[in-house]
Amino acid sequence: MKEFLMLIREDLDNYGKMTPQQMQEDIERHVKWVETLVQQGHFKGGNPLTPAGKYIKSSERMITDGPYIEAKEGVSGFYFLLAPSLEEATRIARGCPSLDYGGMVEIREVILTE
Amino acid sequence: MPHTDPIPQLAAHLFREHSGKMVAVLSRLFGLQDIDKVMDIVQDTFEAALTSWRFSGMPDHPPAWLMQVAKHKAINYLKQEQRRSSAHASLPAIQGIEQEIEPFFAPGEIRDSQLKLLLLCCHPVLSPRNQIALTLYVLCGFGVPEIANALLIQPEAAKKILTRSKALLRREALPAPFSLPVLSPERLHTTLMVLYLMFNEGYKSTRKKATIDNDLCYEALRLAKLVAEQAGTGGEAEALIALMFFNLSRFPARFSLTGTQLSLEEQDRSRWNKVFIEEAYYYLGRAMPQQPNRFYLEALIASQHCRAACFADTDWPGIAALYRQLERLYPSSMVTLNRILAESYLPGSRSLDDLRGLRSSDLEANFMLPAAEGDICRRMGLMADACDAYTRALALAATPADKEFLAQRIAQCRMLFS
Repeated sequence: MKEFLMLIREDLDNYGKMTPQQMQEDIERHVKWVETLVQQGHFKGGNPLTPAGKYIKSSERMITDGPYIEAKEGVSGFYFLLAPSLEEATRIARGCPSLDYGGMVEIREVILTE
Repeated sequence: MPHTDPIPQLAAHLFREHSGKMVAVLSRLFGLQDIDKVMDIVQDTFEAALTSWRFSGMPDHPPAWLMQVAKHKAINYLKQEQRRSSAHASLPAIQGIEQEIEPFFAPGEIRDSQLKLLLLCCHPVLSPRNQIALTLYVLCGFGVPEIANALLIQPEAAKKILTRSKALLRREALPAPFSLPVLSPERLHTTLMVLYLMFNEGYKSTRKKATIDNDLCYEALRLAKLVAEQAGTGGEAEALIALMFFNLSRFPARFSLTGTQLSLEEQDRSRWNKVFIEEAYYYLGRAMPQQPNRFYLEALIASQHCRAACFADTDWPGIAALYRQLERLYPSSMVTLNRILAESYLPGSRSLDDLRGLRSSDLEANFMLPAAEGDICRRMGLMADACDAYTRALALAATPADKEFLAQRIAQCRMLFS
């Protein structure tokens, strides 16, 4: 089994626009999805990230609130997935509920250095 | 991490219900002048749940988790405010906040706050529609798109209603901690009336795919129960709850498999929800008013329908008598219309003539009037007249379900007279 990092990118502004009911439904779908991942042995871990963050750039160590001027999009969370290949990991990641709300996911294989 | 355990299910509409509770407690702390801040904190709390539960699973007691987070956010906000208002705020005063606000989070106190907030949302200065919109927003966790959908208005219109209603609230409300309003019988009655309208709104606008309208009915029921638990209304709240349960019991049978609306006559009565009917009788028994009130009479009428094993067994003389009583106590053209319809099942009635008397009433532009005429004509075998009346009704009907029902009636009548 190989290990993959799945990054979820979302419109972070969207959070504030969801109604309580929509947020609850979103949670339920994610929990259900993670449940399936766990059952099938694809889940290794994951955590959410707060929307606020800092970016440090280049040798001047320039600190900004975001990499882009306008973009509200950012990484909202990450998962570690277990899969035999990148293709398989991609197939698994296609089920991520965030994709249904205009999100985007990036899948990268983790190089295990041990 | 609870991932190896079976995933705990969130209660249906947990967020909506707890939104109302948190708003009630927080607005007690901050006062309604700060209603937007209150709504912000509640929204923030849900966002915190969204980010954390999505990844690490649900906590053991989601409602307690939500209330705890809301409390912390409230404390932080109050501390900030205190620091801002007096740069030299003594440390003990800031620490005192926590103990000071603790009593507001006791379960009984939360219910009391909810009731007071409900009474405030049902303020007589607001129109009934605005009272409903505000109640849905403040106490039922409905977002703007959901309110618009439930009340069949544009989201922009819903937004405007909320802005205006909130401004009114701010003007009317006393500063924190608010003690208003007094639980006067008049205010309680107005509040029950709003819940009655909210229920009807949900009942009449039910569309096959959108479950939100059912939600409106359940929210109205939940709040009516809150009133019954927290205040004495001389049986009025119980009567309203009974009426709601009788009506809800027929929900599963209201639509055919293909999604067409079915009349009482066409409904498969075995699909009526027996548990709800039992609940209804339970509350009806507890309602027993000294003076029959409107909800009680309507609940009795609904119980007559639920009692009949089939449509032919309906006790029309009994129902007509109840409508006559209702008409005497609370005269309205809609009650008269229903009375005439009930009487049309009795021998020797002159219902078509009676209906004519309603033409210049406030029902003039309501599709129910020609629809009733069509119904009576159809049962008398006057298919051409029925067709004509149903066609007039179709032109006035607003909801897709009503339109579909009428179109089907027209088709049926046409087949029988051509």
